[in-house]
Amino acid sequence: MILTFMRDDHRACDHLYTDAENALAAKKVDEAHTLFDQFYRATNHHFDREEKELFITFEKRTGMMGGPTQMMRYEHQQLRSQLESMKTALSEGRHTDFFGIGESFMIMLQQHNMKEEQMLYPMIDRVLGGDAALMVQTLQAMHP
Amino acid sequence: MYEGLSLEQAPPIGVVFRFFLTLPLFGIALSALMIFFPTQVLSVGDPISLAALHLLFLGVLSMGMMGALFQMHSVLGGKPLPHPVGNARIIHTLFTVGIVALVSAFITQFALVFVIASVFLGSSLVYFFQRLFPLLLGKNHNTLGGMRLSLIALLVTVIVGIVMASAYAFGDFSAYHATLRTIHYSFGVMGWMALLIIYVAFQVVEMFYVTASYSAWCQHNVGRIVATALVLKALWLFCAFPFPWIFDLMIGLLLVGFIATTLKRLTNRKRRVREVSIWFWLLGIGLLGGALGAYGLSIALASPVIETMSLIAFGLFVLSIMMGMMGKIIPFLVWFHLNAQGFKDTPMMSSILPPKTLMILFALLGITAFFGFFSPLLPWLLSVAGSSSMVMFIALEKAILGAKRAYDHTLNCGEKWTFEIPTTVPN
Repeated sequence: MILTFMRDDHRACDHLYTDAENALAAKKVDEAHTLFDQFYRATNHHFDREEKELFITFEKRTGMMGGPTQMMRYEHQQLRSQLESMKTALSEGRHTDFFGIGESFMIMLQQHNMKEEQMLYPMIDRVLGGDAALMVQTLQAMHP
Repeated sequence: MYEGLSLEQAPPIGVVFRFFLTLPLFGIALSALMIFFPTQVLSVGDPISLAALHLLFLGVLSMGMMGALFQMHSVLGGKPLPHPVGNARIIHTLFTVGIVALVSAFITQFALVFVIASVFLGSSLVYFFQRLFPLLLGKNHNTLGGMRLSLIALLVTVIVGIVMASAYAFGDFSAYHATLRTIHYSFGVMGWMALLIIYVAFQVVEMFYVTASYSAWCQHNVGRIVATALVLKALWLFCAFPFPWIFDLMIGLLLVGFIATTLKRLTNRKRRVREVSIWFWLLGIGLLGGALGAYGLSIALASPVIETMSLIAFGLFVLSIMMGMMGKIIPFLVWFHLNAQGFKDTPMMSSILPPKTLMILFALLGITAFFGFFSPLLPWLLSVAGSSSMVMFIALEKAILGAKRAYDHTLNCGEKWTFEIPTTVPN
């Protein structure tokens, strides 16, 4: 349940990034700015959902404070830093740099997503058991 | 339960570079054989042909796949390999010496060299299996399941290979030699290589190029079907039952499905940005189609010449996918390791391995593939393919060394981010 919901959210973010990248490649700069902004907000919102709700609940239930969730927070920091670099590059019109940073960001993000989808979310699903549906409702209710 | 999810669990950069820097050297040796001995290389069973075949499948392809596995297992399996530097050094050294010995053994036909090759290759690959396999256990994930089957197929290939090497060493060929040879290459080519590429594709095609997922049925069952077909084929051969190609047909149909679904995903990919790695995937998929078509034709016409075309196309398919992946892995690893250490001036991926270099490598691979595929019909074409692949492997080695230099330069001369904690409170 958590796996499906969060995996779909990953894919939605991927699609937003791709739209922004495609628009910039097609020299539709204004459209790229708008789309990137959507991606930027969606990705940060995804991280917030995890850090402010999902991970905290998991940690309370398992008592694992320095485990996988801590590692994922550390990776979020790295990804947020890349996200900021991309935002700056785009706003300063450094489009080659935007694509360059985007390339490494995308691989890093996909490795991160892969680990969450293959290990962390299934673990959280097991820990939450019947409460997983309630957690999905809580995550859906969070506003960016 | 939890054994590490951090990006910091990735092995040191030298672990992967060790394998990637060695494979072009074997590629250069292979190219030299193609240039100077085209007819022998294309003669099935000729010692030079066997040497060339093992340079390609062990020295180039398996060397690259093992290097990539050292990186990928930590991401997919979540369990870091203990002592990665020491383990990589042991495996790489034994493997490299083993390949050199095996190639020398085929050329010189000295029994002792065959024994040395068996000892080194056997110990390196069994040790590789013994270190990596347990890290892929414990999680019910399709890609990990595919990797496990692939490693088991590698183990079978090695064991049968050692039995065959002892036959070559002592000139004592049993009645089952032809059967063992078929099992050896079937498990090596279809089990170890094709399965690994298919399961890596399930993971990376969707993620890197933002495509639709492969079907859940496919991801769940392809490995099982290939493994079952290979085991049944081996038993069939030992029992000398007729039509063992039925199992090849079974695997072939699956591969046709893989080609169709991968092509559909790549052509309908959402990420449209210009990407050289896509070209490598498309060329690879085309070559796999060529390999399957030629194999079917070779059975229908009972033509060993067309069967050789099939084998060449298959090797080039693996090489194309591998080079496409290396084009992403190498610059990413350099960038990632420097960035993780906090270097301000970490170079971007596109300057570590420029797209122009990748385009040149792609063009050279395309030329090699074209002339290589048709060379069994006109053997002199293999010299042309060899010349092209020689330049390609030299360029590849230069590109990897360039990436390594960029890493070393930043490591030695780069400036790190510093965070100063004020010791006094400003007024």
